[in-house]
Amino acid sequence: MKVTVFGATGVVGEALVPLLDEHEVTAVSRSPRADERTRWVVADAATGEGVTEALAGAEVVYYLVHSLGSRDFEEQDRVASETIASEAASAGVRQIVYLGGLGADDPDASPHLRSRRETGERLGSAGVPVTTLRAAMIVGKGSAAFETILGLVKRLPVMITPRWVSTPTQPIALDDVARYLAGVCGNEATFAEGFDVGGPEVMTYRQMIERIARLLGRKPMIVEVAVLTPYLSSLWLNLVTPVNASVARPLVEGLRNPTVAREERIRTLLPFGLTPFDEAARQALPAPG
Amino acid sequence: MKGWEASERVLESGGFESRQRVLVEDAVVEASEAGARVLGVTYWQAVDRFTRGGVRASWNSSGGKLRLLGGATLLTFAPAELAFTDGVVSCRHEIRGGLLALRAGGSVTLAQNPAGEQHELSVTVEEYLPRLATRVGAPWWTGTLYAKGQSPFHVAVSRRYFDLLIRKRPA
Repeated sequence: MKVTVFGATGVVGEALVPLLDEHEVTAVSRSPRADERTRWVVADAATGEGVTEALAGAEVVYYLVHSLGSRDFEEQDRVASETIASEAASAGVRQIVYLGGLGADDPDASPHLRSRRETGERLGSAGVPVTTLRAAMIVGKGSAAFETILGLVKRLPVMITPRWVSTPTQPIALDDVARYLAGVCGNEATFAEGFDVGGPEVMTYRQMIERIARLLGRKPMIVEVAVLTPYLSSLWLNLVTPVNASVARPLVEGLRNPTVAREERIRTLLPFGLTPFDEAARQALPAPG
Repeated sequence: MKGWEASERVLESGGFESRQRVLVEDAVVEASEAGARVLGVTYWQAVDRFTRGGVRASWNSSGGKLRLLGGATLLTFAPAELAFTDGVVSCRHEIRGGLLALRAGGSVTLAQNPAGEQHELSVTVEEYLPRLATRVGAPWWTGTLYAKGQSPFHVAVSRRYFDLLIRKRPA
């Protein structure tokens, strides 16, 4: 099958592309790249430049693009998803696979989560069936949310945390998300369907911080306060973690929403043993030394 | 909200039983562990939203605490018992103590049950011994805080919970 992957240079895209080796893959990047095993093309979903060429002959399109970090990320995501939707329809694409966010159906969803939901809806607006996988935090090297938590744990012996540390979440290993994404490729049972993809454990962010700390041999003191706003939190994260405030803020706003799987149909459709959180986190930690 | 009913009674054991329910056309959660968990997650989210973060639950592997302004522990709970059999999906928390409990005992159960062509969503508190309720032999007014405060608060949270659960249902 001919498959085009938008966002192939991102954390999830890089994990996914090797799993699609039975297909004829076109990986899309905004700047030229060279790789003997993969065909790379230059295109930009936000401007539409090169998108027609990238989609030529494609049967399945992966949409792993987001504009987090831009001031107007909601508008940019809107434009990019509409571009892909209409171009995919014109190219005769049979399926668009989209990685959205758990908790996006919450009526009080944060702008980031709301944007993830709208992106999925817009991808389907031109008639191509969309398969949406909804994930909470992805535990993997380079994942912005995971790196934020890791940065906090590594740098702070005492953490003043906002209320979101008590919010339940269901983090999933990067490899497991990639496996689910690859598994739905061309699978007609998943066309125009959405699936929650949760990890094997539900925990609060506080528990997550404590477990990562344990893996790092640390024991931070966590003090929960009610008055730390998302804005102040993001400035604080900008100061103490490698994650930029413009990325941290929408992420932090989203942390007030529980991100727990509502259903587990995907586990019947694509059964495999999910990676335990500690193992996924250990793999994502930087090598010692 | 369709089929709204709320009731409360004192059992022979002295424990309180309180129940609120609504009816929905379609199931709002799947009959699975994930579905049962969503009932619990949404209920505690409703408590948080209703009190604007003033009262919220925090959890670890040994159970949960319902805290007022991050300080006073109002109630403590055992970890959730999730069940899904014969179309009944439930999340039950045993009450272990806290300022609002006279002693450990009783439970809160959040459930979705088939009800003919429809589904019933319910919140049931059983065998709970509220510290604020009137005790045998005590003047009637000693139970005012429960009757005028805690009990209506609980009913209002249940309404908020049903509303949130129904609105959260994926399209």
